[in-house]
Amino acid sequence: MSVMKTTRDVKGVGLSIPRPDGPDKVTGKVQYVADITPRGLLHAKLLRSPHAHAKIVRIDVSKARALPGVRAVLTAADIPELKGKPASRAHAVLAIDRVVFAGQPVAAVAADEVAIAEEALDLIDVQYEVLPASVDPLQAMKPGAPPVAELGTEADLSEAMAHSAVAMAKGETPTKAVNVSQTAHVKRGDVAKGFAESDVVLEHTYRVPMVHQGYIEPHAVLAEWDRSGNLTLWASTQGSFNTRSEVADVLGLEENRIKVIPVECGGGFGGKIRALCEPITAILARVTARPVRYVMTRREELEAGMPAPQVIIRLKTGVKKDGTLMALEGETVLESGAFSGTVLAVSAVFLGSLYKWPAFDIKGSEVLTHKPSVAAYRAPVAPQSIFAIDSQMDALARALNIDPVAFRARHLSKPGDPMANNQPWASMGAPEVLQKAGAHRVWKEREAWKKGAKPGTLRGVGLSLGGWLGGLQPTGASVKLNPDGTLSVLTGQVDIAGTNIALAQIAATAYGVDIDKVKITTGDTDVAPVTGLSAGSKTVYTVGVAVLQAAQAARKQTFEIAAAELEAAVDDLELVDGKIVVRGVPGKGVTLQSIGKKGNLYMSKVEPVIASSHPAFSQQAPAFASQIARIELDPDTGEVTLKDFVIVQDVGKAINPLAVEGQMQGGAVQSLGMALTEGLVYDDQGRLTNPSLLDYRKLTAADLPNLETVIVEVPSPAGPFGARGVGEPPIIPAPAAIANAIADATGVRLTEAPLTPERIALALARRGAG
Amino acid sequence: MPKQILSFTVNGDKVDLLVPPYVTLLDALRDEAGLTGPKEGCGTGDCGACTVHLDGKPVASCLVLALQARGRSVRTIEGLGTATALHPLQDAFVRHGVPQCGFCIPGVLMAAAALLEEHAAPTEEQIRYGIAGNLCRCTGYTKMVAAITEAAGMIKKGAAR
Repeated sequence: MSVMKTTRDVKGVGLSIPRPDGPDKVTGKVQYVADITPRGLLHAKLLRSPHAHAKIVRIDVSKARALPGVRAVLTAADIPELKGKPASRAHAVLAIDRVVFAGQPVAAVAADEVAIAEEALDLIDVQYEVLPASVDPLQAMKPGAPPVAELGTEADLSEAMAHSAVAMAKGETPTKAVNVSQTAHVKRGDVAKGFAESDVVLEHTYRVPMVHQGYIEPHAVLAEWDRSGNLTLWASTQGSFNTRSEVADVLGLEENRIKVIPVECGGGFGGKIRALCEPITAILARVTARPVRYVMTRREELEAGMPAPQVIIRLKTGVKKDGTLMALEGETVLESGAFSGTVLAVSAVFLGSLYKWPAFDIKGSEVLTHKPSVAAYRAPVAPQSIFAIDSQMDALARALNIDPVAFRARHLSKPGDPMANNQPWASMGAPEVLQKAGAHRVWKEREAWKKGAKPGTLRGVGLSLGGWLGGLQPTGASVKLNPDGTLSVLTGQVDIAGTNIALAQIAATAYGVDIDKVKITTGDTDVAPVTGLSAGSKTVYTVGVAVLQAAQAARKQTFEIAAAELEAAVDDLELVDGKIVVRGVPGKGVTLQSIGKKGNLYMSKVEPVIASSHPAFSQQAPAFASQIARIELDPDTGEVTLKDFVIVQDVGKAINPLAVEGQMQGGAVQSLGMALTEGLVYDDQGRLTNPSLLDYRKLTAADLPNLETVIVEVPSPAGPFGARGVGEPPIIPAPAAIANAIADATGVRLTEAPLTPERIALALARRGAG
Repeated sequence: MPKQILSFTVNGDKVDLLVPPYVTLLDALRDEAGLTGPKEGCGTGDCGACTVHLDGKPVASCLVLALQARGRSVRTIEGLGTATALHPLQDAFVRHGVPQCGFCIPGVLMAAAALLEEHAAPTEEQIRYGIAGNLCRCTGYTKMVAAITEAAGMIKKGAAR
């Protein structure tokens, strides 16, 4: 992308500028959905199934309807839009005659107070006929397993589309096993021959359980209709236009009758992309003709949110004694819960593409179970896939007694190398990231540091490398010059992580004014240009391009107006300190203020400066991160203490290093949570056994050291100023880094996350006994 | 259940509210007093987003019944700074770029403010344990610890002046 040169260095791209809404966020002034209370507000509550799989025999809501303060009690029979098999989780507003996961909504209540709505739920009498449930994905694939989908299992690929357009050979087998909703298969070379000629063959099965995205603000939505049939939704969403489309589809409404106002989003991480509680809240608001607010409880979030899939990966790898890669065989099972929707192809691509295997054969299956259906979670399926392939590379290096970094570097794919799907790797900085991590003091000095272990404790250092291909989505932005010479930027981008300040910095640099002259606004779906999701590591990568192009176009318009006024050629003009001057004639100039003012003056003949851009994209920008963990391990208890942690990441160009560091550190802690403590645990009836934040253990400040960040900048060809996506890579490497560190400390390879003290102590005891 | 009068001090002001006896302090502050700074992230005392000071001590306001605050003094995030000036902790959080989604921030700041009232110059470990009851999913806590450390220094310097 050619960037129009600015005439001097403005304060914009590359500076660590705190986000402008910081003061509102630290004073409690920022409002989230649950903070908005219009007059006449009703509160919604949902009655949820206690069974993972059951027939609904009868629902009696008469007592609930009679309770004073209750304004509506609905079942599927009361909602004409609900008929037949739901096409997706969003369409499964209320169960019709069968529930397919514990926590599935069965009835809905709107009442004057939350307490009344809760009391009404207790008065609803549902008679279930409990059916056998498919709980374990490997069992669910077998013939005779209780089926999850009634009329076959169509793949839902919309999540894959939103996150990463990976062209992929679909599985060849037309005869699908029960509960298998998607298959994938990639293959190259002769795997059997490769294994036959290998000196060392290693086989491990890696498992990562379902984990929750863990945003601190639960799902929340407020719905209100006007008398003409227009719906307004105040939503906690990662993409207001996506929410609008899904709600329109479920309710059978025209999209322009729905206005989605993206309220401050208290975290999403992929869990607030797809519609969940928006349709039922809108229906309750329609039935009662009152504003209705629904806020999920934490228990509901954990029991009936949209977690990440459980991922089970069996890998068999063969190498020569000298470290030559020979063959890889992989089998991936993604547990999708009650509805299809995983990004199956991504897993296969990472397993087969990151290192240059001459022969590979990787099969993948998406399996339905009687559990809540899954959704994206920051680099969906990448941490789990990298846990498998990076652990495997580390184990091979150790088995061959080769330096683990040198082994990875020797076999790492480079730009232009074919991926498993035979597309070439795009420009990417994996080799640079690995090189930088391998040269880091925490890695280099590992042997010396390990010698300092206190008696009775073990020390280990682990490194891993992972990445993300980067998402794409068409998007829009507009830039206008105000009558005082300031700029206003408008997008529909939901700003969770601090992307708006980065977009404003791009506008400042592209137009040629300081950042303090730029204000950026996130508009609702009625006023904002169509804008993509805040997901897929693509906000700055794609919306940044729209803002950049719009700012460049606004600059061009401004210069043309100035050229006419100054009777000079556009090429002879430059913008200095808010004034357009003729180069070499310092006295001759016109201020942005004057141009802006004339664009809004009664009887003026000067056009206002308003530019927009709405690009679509075809070039992804893969981004990689390496993480290094220093751990201390108590061999008696299995407890791991993280002593130092380093994140090395290629961000292309750090538009705002402060925000980039925040992404790297936050993503790393989610990755560490997946590695060490987190997992949704189900009993054999498919009921969640840890539905609270006491038992679903996230990492706290006391569990962690300071996290060191090392920013690597390998510019992307198409991103704004060379930027790549930043959000997803840091959540990927830690499970492998920690497993590698444990192997370094103990010689034992753990393959099942989370790597809890119990699992570690048991593995060490087994080794002792064996 | 009939409502009862709750008379207490909130952010320095005398306040009288009419609340049902079963509501939590968090709900009374948010729904009756209009102070939506304290957040509900779990409702079971595990996430810390609802942290306020009750007679100077940090509490999970989702686990306190509103009527337990009768005659006592409550301070919320809205009362941490003044109308025109940020508290040094708030200022440091902004400059260090701590807030991302921001939902946990009011609770973290109240926990940190209580910590600094107990330990004027806390160690990194004291800070980490001081905010260990507050879950944050965005930041990884590193910038929080740095901001709290810096704010402690600023407060000390201010006091010495």
